[in-house]
Amino acid sequence: MNMEPGDPDMIQRRWRVSLIWLVPAAAALIGASMLIQAWLSVGPDIFVTFRTAAGLEAGKTPVKFKDVTVGTVSGIALSEDGSRVVATISLDKRAENLARADTRFWVVRPRIGASGVSGVDTLFSGAYIGVDRGASSDTSRNFTGLEAPPAVPGDMPGKSFVLRTEELGSLDIGSPVYHRRVQVGRVTSYRLDEDGSCVRLQIFVDAPYDRFVTAGTRFWNASGVDVSLGADGIRLKTQSLAAIVSGGIAFATPEYAQGGPAAENAQYLLASDQATAMAPPDGPAQYVRLRFKQPLRGLSVGAPVLFWGVDLGKVVSITLDYDEAAHDFPTVVGVRLYPQRLGRVLEKLPAPDDDPQRRIASFLGAMVDRGLRAQARSANLLTGQLYISIEHVPGAPKVAFDESARPLTIPTVDGKLDRLQEQLANIVGRIDKIPFDAIGKHLDTALIDLRGALTRLNGTLGRIDEQLLPEAAKTLQRAQETLGAVEGVLSEDAPPLRDLSEALKEIQRAARSLRGLTDLLGRHPESLLRGRPDGRAPAIAPAEAPPAPPAVEQRQETSR
Amino acid sequence: MKTFSDLIVCEHCDSVYRRQPLPPGAAARCGRCGAILRRAGLDLDRWLALTLAAAIAFVIANVCPVVRISMQGIPNEATLWKSAAALAQGPIACVAVPLALSIIVVPFLQIGLLAWVLAHARAGRRAPGFAPAMRLLVLLRPWSMVEVCLLGILVAVAKLSHLLQVAPGPGLWATAGLMALVTLIANRDVQRLWDLTEPGSNPSGTEA
Repeated sequence: MNMEPGDPDMIQRRWRVSLIWLVPAAAALIGASMLIQAWLSVGPDIFVTFRTAAGLEAGKTPVKFKDVTVGTVSGIALSEDGSRVVATISLDKRAENLARADTRFWVVRPRIGASGVSGVDTLFSGAYIGVDRGASSDTSRNFTGLEAPPAVPGDMPGKSFVLRTEELGSLDIGSPVYHRRVQVGRVTSYRLDEDGSCVRLQIFVDAPYDRFVTAGTRFWNASGVDVSLGADGIRLKTQSLAAIVSGGIAFATPEYAQGGPAAENAQYLLASDQATAMAPPDGPAQYVRLRFKQPLRGLSVGAPVLFWGVDLGKVVSITLDYDEAAHDFPTVVGVRLYPQRLGRVLEKLPAPDDDPQRRIASFLGAMVDRGLRAQARSANLLTGQLYISIEHVPGAPKVAFDESARPLTIPTVDGKLDRLQEQLANIVGRIDKIPFDAIGKHLDTALIDLRGALTRLNGTLGRIDEQLLPEAAKTLQRAQETLGAVEGVLSEDAPPLRDLSEALKEIQRAARSLRGLTDLLGRHPESLLRGRPDGRAPAIAPAEAPPAPPAVEQRQETSR
Repeated sequence: MKTFSDLIVCEHCDSVYRRQPLPPGAAARCGRCGAILRRAGLDLDRWLALTLAAAIAFVIANVCPVVRISMQGIPNEATLWKSAAALAQGPIACVAVPLALSIIVVPFLQIGLLAWVLAHARAGRRAPGFAPAMRLLVLLRPWSMVEVCLLGILVAVAKLSHLLQVAPGPGLWATAGLMALVTLIANRDVQRLWDLTEPGSNPSGTEA
């Protein structure tokens, strides 16, 4: 029996994993990690249309939000209708939330405007696309790029307001908004109203100044220069140099219209100047009709209507009517009155009714009974312009006033104008009576007389020339000689002067000695009898010391 | 015609020797002129692994940017392909062709052929088209210039760094790895594959 153990079956391992396989594994790992990273960092592609692709370059132009690159332009193509350029932007993953529905895109290029220079850095680096993140929660893939940078970044604290104005004037996007001449905001956009009746300006006022805009705030156009001639001279008002060039808006809140801060996007009127803006509100207008029998040459639409000297409204229409009974042409003037301009007067009016129209009608009725009349008056004698004045006219004939008529008709009186013209005619007649011819003749004879007198005067002057002048010359010459002699006497080294000088010096010396003597006597009166106490010379006051040395003085004293 | 695949000829002095199995790390030397006849190189397994690693490195080197330069905050990147394309745009467009050949096409062919041949060899057989592939590998060897390319990139990076901000990209590291791997796998020992795939030889590739 064969006891030899049998061989086990050998199983060949087909795959022997050696360590060297770690090398491709590591390489694959690195590659895969890079792939995953690239895949994760790829954000959404968005499409922004621009009017032109100037400065944009596919694959190079970066997209920057707050100067941080958040993506690149990956492609530029024309839109389907060829009217615009579609830039495909590959946003980074971390900038994914920039693709909001109201996010704005614009191309940053060097720009020079009235309000400054921007985008200078792109001169060297090339244009890039700026992004301003919107606030909307909706995302979007398609955007319309702005042609100019937005005036206000989306996350800027502050408030927007809407201003309505008749016309844009020199205002533009970016025009400054001033409050007390401090720039606090700017115009962000403007557009025509849907019906084209006015311009809607959107302005942005930065925080914290936005709280100065209240419900009663007035806005006015501060563009350009406001020159006004008043009782205190010429006044020139401007906001700033930039406002002169590019226009601007200013606002202020009148004292009487304070209030809490206004809401976002509150609407205001943009007045043409500060005075208009700050005027109290006019309130509802009251249309009144006036019927004048006289022709009203010089009255124009827009002429003021004064009530007791207060500007109460203006003329809005002037039409001619025909009176069949009298066969004449009365002028019908429509005026618009703003009763609120009367202010506190209105509160004191009797109020039989809450309806303001009837209230005014009854008030006017009472006033007309007492003689209230409308008149056309001359505002300017030179130009002949008229205005309407509503005042009490004493002695005006009674007229019936229909309170229920609409529009109300205020009775008128004529005459002032005619009287004025009459007076003027009078003045002209008097001027006519002045005898200009006779005056002229008298003047002529007088001039002839004057001429004779002048001729005689001329002859006299000729004689003076011939006779008097040589004499005068001689006299002058002699005077000159005399003066020369005097000069000789008075010259410095002339003998009389020298003598005088010596004599004065002698007197000076004598005076000094006398003073010494009086000093000595003052101190020692006994020396008058006994002689000097110690035989020494008295001390001479140092301040009075003469220029000569004291020793010499002493000797002089003792020798005396 | 009879071929003597168990003999080996010194390529310098034409002396003929009998082929000996080489232990790892050993080398056979010509007794007449002293030239190295053959070395015990990588075994098939390692060879194939390194070839695969080279293939991955090649892909990374071609896909990822090699350098990233930025001037005034505007960055720009260049891959190997882009550099070749940029050359083709310029006045020396004719240089672009040898550049693309030496740093992209030739390494790609080398790695592809080696992978093809080695994968079959590891399975114990000769790949279809083995002989032309081997001839082509020998022919391509002098034209693979990844190391020259790497040197050029390094010089450019060093020179440009004075003028611009230059940052090496992942492609540069991949190119460096590719250079080392290609040198390892596509050296002149390629002809050893003839022996390794000789019918009846040890399919595992170990010659011990």
